[in-house]
Amino acid sequence: MTDTYLELVNSGFTKKLAKQLGLPRPARLRRHQPGQPLLDGPALVLGTGPDADAVATLLSSPAGGPADPRPDDAPVVLDGWDLEVHRHPAPDVRYAAVVLVLTGVEHPDDLTQPVLAAASTLKSLRSGARVVTISRPALETDAPAVAAARQGVDGFLRSLAKELRGGATGNGLALAADVPVSAPSVVAGLRFFLSTRSAFVDGQLLEVDSDAGELPTDWEKPLAGKVAVVTGAARGIGAAIAEVLARDGATVVAVDVPAAGEQLAAVANRVKGTALQLDVTADDAGERILEHARTRHGRLDVVVHNAGITRDKLLANMSDDKWSSVLAVNIAAQLRINEALLTSGDFVDAPRIVALASTSGIAGNRGQTNYAASKGGVVGMVRATAPLLTPFGGTANAVAPGFIETDMTARIPAVTRQVARRLNSLQQGGLPVDVAETIAFLASPAAGGIVGRTLRVCGQNMVGR
Amino acid sequence: MSPVAEAREVVLPAVPGLGGLYARGAAGAARLAVDGGGKRVSRPLPDVVYAVRDLHVDAAHLTAYQRLLGEPGTDALPAGYVHVLAFPVATALMVRDDFPLPLLGMVHLANRVEQRRRLTLGEALAVRAHAEAMRPHPRGTQVDLVVEVTGGAGGDVAWRGVSTYLAPGLRLADTGDARAGDADAGAAPASERTPFTPPQPTGSWRLDADTGRRYGAVSGDRNPIHLSALTARPFGFPRAIAHGMYTASRLLADVGPARGAAFVWSVDFVKPVLLPATVAVSTRPADGGGYDLAAWHARTGKPHVLGSVTPLP
Amino acid sequence: MASTRDTSTPAPAAPRAAYVLGGNRIPFARAGGRYAQASNQDMLTAALDGLVARYGLQGERIGEVAAGAVLKHSRDFNLAREAVLGSALSPTTPAYDVQQACATGLETVVSLSNKIRLGQLESAVAGGVDTTSDAPIAVSDRLRRVLLDLSHAKTPQQRLKAIARLRPKDLAPATPRTSEPRTHLSMGEHQALTTAQWGISREAQDEVALRSHQRLAAAWDSGFFDDLVTPYRGLTRDANLRPDTSMEKLAKLKPTFGLSLDTPATMTAGNSTPLTDGASTVLLGSAEWAAEHDLTPLAAVVDAEAGAVDFVHGVDGLLMAPVFAVPRLLARHGLTLEDFQYVEIHEAFASTVLTTLAAWESEEFGRERLGLDGAFGKVDVDRLNVHGSSLAAGHPFAATGGRIVATVAKELHRRRAAQVAAGDDAPVRALVSICAAGGLGLTAILEAA
Repeated sequence: MTDTYLELVNSGFTKKLAKQLGLPRPARLRRHQPGQPLLDGPALVLGTGPDADAVATLLSSPAGGPADPRPDDAPVVLDGWDLEVHRHPAPDVRYAAVVLVLTGVEHPDDLTQPVLAAASTLKSLRSGARVVTISRPALETDAPAVAAARQGVDGFLRSLAKELRGGATGNGLALAADVPVSAPSVVAGLRFFLSTRSAFVDGQLLEVDSDAGELPTDWEKPLAGKVAVVTGAARGIGAAIAEVLARDGATVVAVDVPAAGEQLAAVANRVKGTALQLDVTADDAGERILEHARTRHGRLDVVVHNAGITRDKLLANMSDDKWSSVLAVNIAAQLRINEALLTSGDFVDAPRIVALASTSGIAGNRGQTNYAASKGGVVGMVRATAPLLTPFGGTANAVAPGFIETDMTARIPAVTRQVARRLNSLQQGGLPVDVAETIAFLASPAAGGIVGRTLRVCGQNMVGR
Repeated sequence: MSPVAEAREVVLPAVPGLGGLYARGAAGAARLAVDGGGKRVSRPLPDVVYAVRDLHVDAAHLTAYQRLLGEPGTDALPAGYVHVLAFPVATALMVRDDFPLPLLGMVHLANRVEQRRRLTLGEALAVRAHAEAMRPHPRGTQVDLVVEVTGGAGGDVAWRGVSTYLAPGLRLADTGDARAGDADAGAAPASERTPFTPPQPTGSWRLDADTGRRYGAVSGDRNPIHLSALTARPFGFPRAIAHGMYTASRLLADVGPARGAAFVWSVDFVKPVLLPATVAVSTRPADGGGYDLAAWHARTGKPHVLGSVTPLP
Repeated sequence: MASTRDTSTPAPAAPRAAYVLGGNRIPFARAGGRYAQASNQDMLTAALDGLVARYGLQGERIGEVAAGAVLKHSRDFNLAREAVLGSALSPTTPAYDVQQACATGLETVVSLSNKIRLGQLESAVAGGVDTTSDAPIAVSDRLRRVLLDLSHAKTPQQRLKAIARLRPKDLAPATPRTSEPRTHLSMGEHQALTTAQWGISREAQDEVALRSHQRLAAAWDSGFFDDLVTPYRGLTRDANLRPDTSMEKLAKLKPTFGLSLDTPATMTAGNSTPLTDGASTVLLGSAEWAAEHDLTPLAAVVDAEAGAVDFVHGVDGLLMAPVFAVPRLLARHGLTLEDFQYVEIHEAFASTVLTTLAAWESEEFGRERLGLDGAFGKVDVDRLNVHGSSLAAGHPFAATGGRIVATVAKELHRRRAAQVAAGDDAPVRALVSICAAGGLGLTAILEAA
């Protein structure tokens, strides 16, 4: 699973050679470590107006204890992140992050000033820097110039992300009309995009639908006190999800088929959770998951539908079994489990469902009609399931991984694998932990305002959106 | 016992080695063959008692015996071990020039041990041996070798063994031997016994080809018939045969502590065990108390050793 | 039963109950199979880790872990403790080894339960493991003695003397014996004698074997073992299980034991347990500890009785001790076989089960050997080994007790729940009977919590 090419272009003689030959030079991405500073350099907040000021204040204010409980009528004062923040680009400063607050743009011309200001910083950005736009989505009801400006942010951001090098990423938050920049999901989303937790998320615009959600008292333990079920947890991405959720404070119930029990036990023991050997396609899987979580851990807050299989075949050669088994595990089981959870009455305390989709399900992939149908199904499922949960402060969202270095992708023929890895802006495959970090973010209480969305973790794969 | 008391006592300085005795026995056999034509017993039993006093047991030797036979490693001397210690005194008597039967080629027919009390390591033992009851047998002439062992200072007889041997092919002349009728332990000939039906076994022995050599090393009885096929063949055995006393002692060991401290342990050697062998055994409780002992050929069901252990009051 | 109750010790009032809270084992492998390279410690650790994972006991200081193996390397003198140290449990968890032949596993459950009942422990893990694939091979007894003497020798002469005793033959290794030390008969040969004595037919034995395979297969298929077994080394089910076996297939097997008896030999590889590798664990605890850890008591370990028979002198069959222990155990509680909804008789051999039942059903045996007014009682097939037993699962000696106890506890809990749901609050009990080498037997009563 090691990306030898990535190692070569980042070390010694081969590094020099790759540079001279103009070969793609993927950077070593920094990943989250507990205790790591949010940024390793100053941040530049661009844009004007109260939203930009609020964001700059958030980033620069000293960290303090949470002002909780606040009087209901008190203005929201956010706990600051204690960063060095500039409002204008200073020469010779290497920025670790550039935040463009564009919520107030009313005409494409309004983009000029902040965009050009950002441009002046790009050549000296720190490696692994972050560019984040905060904007609002273009709506049919907008004035044409406003919609043009807002939609322009979309195109701008996606293109900029493709220009960034050295492990830098560009992502955006698109805030629904009535969502303030102080909304928990905006704050947490911004922090996620600025942090190394989003190392392999690139070129994405994440919509924030409401101001629901609750900020954590400790950014290192956003899932403290939560009980999370992860299906398919015995290995690969599932194991990484279990580990990240546990690191973030959750008690994890690791679920996998009985046959994978040995690895499952190892994962459960690593994350100090419990192992539940269960085939998610069983009729009573939802009930058994709930029963286990309730009796053993007293509650259930998060379900991560990660269990999935591939049975690749061109549709012309597709057998009933290959089609049906993929659909059964990857989508039908999730639907059945969700139904059981939603009707149980025990999944009503700001619950979170996070499901694994796939870029194949969005952009399509030859030989994966069954898999793509199931993963496209996941995208649709979370969109329709989320509204059922919002009355309880709950959400359902999906994560669509691109090329991730796993046992599964390790089986792809070497040349194909090398090409597949480079087909994104970061010019490398992601790691299971990258998917897990995004899931942990969507599972967190702060992400309550993100409803029914699918966030890609693909390094801005060239296919699809 | 009165005749014995009057007999002449020969006190040996120590228990003689069996190896030397066998060598003398072989010479004696040659002499007898010359003397009597090897067909007729021409002499009565010598009126003599051989004795060894102040015999001490070597702990290492005792342990070697206990391990080989499966006896527990206690300080008690197993009844079979006392036989190993004391019987060479009788053998010494059997190689006397005036002993009427040849040692080599003699067959151990039966053995009866009366253990009145348990002898223990550390006791100074005294051994007395004599021969008696030379009498006809359908296949030759049989004789009893009686060995008595006392322990401690001037104690009573603790252990009394009567070993019945057959000199095959020798007919007993009318020697007027007064002891002929004094057969207190003579085994009934095999032919007179009720046919043997093997009981359900309680155990099994796997006896390797070196069983005779290993018992020989501990007991000192390196009779060629027990050592190897090569050395056994001249005596009419296709392979080496197990020592009778080895099989009898293992049966006694198999009974275990249930045999008690005082008992009569009596066996008939019906058919030799040709080595190597798998032997089925039974040590079941007997109807009238004690245990019936049997060892037989696992496949054919033919008996090797039959006997009993009966507790003494 | 009232007549015998008078003669037995009255049941002492237990201060509190000890419960089975769960269990975990690895699938049992055939000797030389998937676990051929695994040691006892490896397997026991794997079973322990699976238990920890299932019940979330990472870093937990368990009151005590007791486990054992029948075939044991001398280096494994602290097998249970070493397994704890290699597991996800807290390294401050004490442990000790137990060895009682095939009763080892059940004895760990019994002794730890008693400690819990006494208040000495709040939680415990009982376990057992055995491998015939990685069995200890010792040097021959004679070589061992020579080597020992050599190490004690002080002069070159003494050393030479020690070495001179060696014969080429002594260099051959001594493989562990499965035969009884006093009788030199294998367990199978012993049982063949008992089988012949009770006149148990080949067909009846094959039926027991067939039922064992069918029931174990059904249990696996229904997911019964999903929370009792954690796969190991790629093995996800008991390797010995033959779901497709049949009376015809079993009838074709040649007898392997009792060939030299005058009765027809009836015991085959099909109706005898194969050599097996595996490990099992059982989580035990007080009600308080269970509540603190959000665990559900499945069944209480009520009482146990050990027995032994004199097989050395052929008084009783080697594996018949439970026949005597169970009546004593039941008398102590004023119970009869009818009071048990579920009976587990370890299938060392199919005929072990059948001779046990035959003895209990015999009027004569009941009167003359058990001191009862008549036959002890009867166990219907539908109450016996309902999820299959050792003939199908295999029998890694010390691991069998844990397999049975965990299976029984889960089944009791299930039955009790169903019964309570139907408005019936009567106790649901199971009887466990395990025979062992040396003429031993260990039996126990479990009651659904």
